Amino acid sequence: MIPIWVLTGFLGSGKTTLLGRLLKSPGFARTAVIINEFGEVGLDHDLVETSDESFVTLQTGCLCCAVRDDLVLTLEALLRRRASGTVPPFERVVIETSGLADPAPILHALMTQPAFEGRLALAGVVTTVDALTGAQALARYPEAVKQVAMADRLLLTKTDLLQAPATSLIARLSALNAAAVLSTAAFGEIAADQLFGSEALPVALERWLRTSPAAQARQGGHNHASDITALALVRAAPVRAVALTLLLEVLAEHVGGDLIRLKGLINIAESPERPAVIHGVQHVFHPPAWLERWPSQDRRSRLVLIGRNLRQAWVEALWTALDAEVDEVSGAVPAAADTTGEGLRPEPRPGRASFPAR
Amino acid sequence: MSAAIPDCVLLLLQESLAAWRVRGVIARNAAGGLELCAAGTLIEIARAPEGLPFRWLVGVAERKRPVSGLAGLLRAVRALVDPDFRALPVRIAALPLAP
Repeated sequence: MIPIWVLTGFLGSGKTTLLGRLLKSPGFARTAVIINEFGEVGLDHDLVETSDESFVTLQTGCLCCAVRDDLVLTLEALLRRRASGTVPPFERVVIETSGLADPAPILHALMTQPAFEGRLALAGVVTTVDALTGAQALARYPEAVKQVAMADRLLLTKTDLLQAPATSLIARLSALNAAAVLSTAAFGEIAADQLFGSEALPVALERWLRTSPAAQARQGGHNHASDITALALVRAAPVRAVALTLLLEVLAEHVGGDLIRLKGLINIAESPERPAVIHGVQHVFHPPAWLERWPSQDRRSRLVLIGRNLRQAWVEALWTALDAEVDEVSGAVPAAADTTGEGLRPEPRPGRASFPAR
Repeated sequence: MSAAIPDCVLLLLQESLAAWRVRGVIARNAAGGLELCAAGTLIEIARAPEGLPFRWLVGVAERKRPVSGLAGLLRAVRALVDPDFRALPVRIAALPLAP
């Protein structure tokens, strides 16, 4: 499985400079890079592909389909060329977005494309933040906020130009997304693996789940300046698979537009020894990955949501009520007089699954 | 006779109104169901009678529709109180029950 990293960051935050440096380093060898346009910095690399993604910022409404066509075609062509030997056998793909891009449609395309199954896998999102102008960008542009909130790894660039430590900016980044690993780079210098090295899934997930609730407590769980909220939910009792499915469905339906990232390690009642890892971006959820074993002694289900205007009390109440309903229907908790004997059934509606059961 | 509506469902509906930024009140009625008043609409929510393949009846006055679970109940209620709400045109596939 070839990992795909999405490199995003606001205009002028140093994405292209970073790529220009990395492409010259041995640690970045065997990496295919997809960029939306050639920047000012010449990218001299065998595996640079262009993808005309610039139209993304001109579209309105849902961009999933618009970006999917171009990006998917580019990736499929790249895979074909790899298979035919016309490009070196790359072992990593990095997709650079334009500075105003919302990363979500790109992530959706990567998460939902059946043609990539077993060949490509989304590894994470790296977001560059200009140490000098990042705070202003975050204050003025919602695109910049979303790019930070979606990140798995944040890179503070141009730190060589700072007169004093970027304390307030770092605090802001932590408030928006405490789970992301923060690195710094002066002159675009950073080791490739520090940004784009794959971390074992259980390790990365444990870090995410551990960091977010702690940070939430520190920050009061809410960033008033941007209405970005980080919620952490914990359940000691195993969760029935159908209850989790219903929870994700209701979240997607009612707060999908505001949900930026969702990650969870879930103790599924039907699979007590192998926890499920769930991952979502807005209303699209990745098929669950099943760990071979629990990464620690902590077998509680943990779910972290980052989004705009999310209400912890609502999500808690929703999960509790769905658990109770599923228990009741399955007979785990007898209802006093409810003898319909019917299981929970999805409402008949047209459409397709956000993720296929594989 | 249908079971009473659990407190957790009442709490969920109250929290849902807050999450949707809809002002409203919810109270139990004499029949054991719930009455939700919001956006100038009085919505009645009741357990479906025994023998029907649904768990809930929800609607205004005589126009009740059956829904099979809480996800459908929330969808139906929000459609009545939030004119900007659009039901998600996709479904979440059931999780595989085992790896």
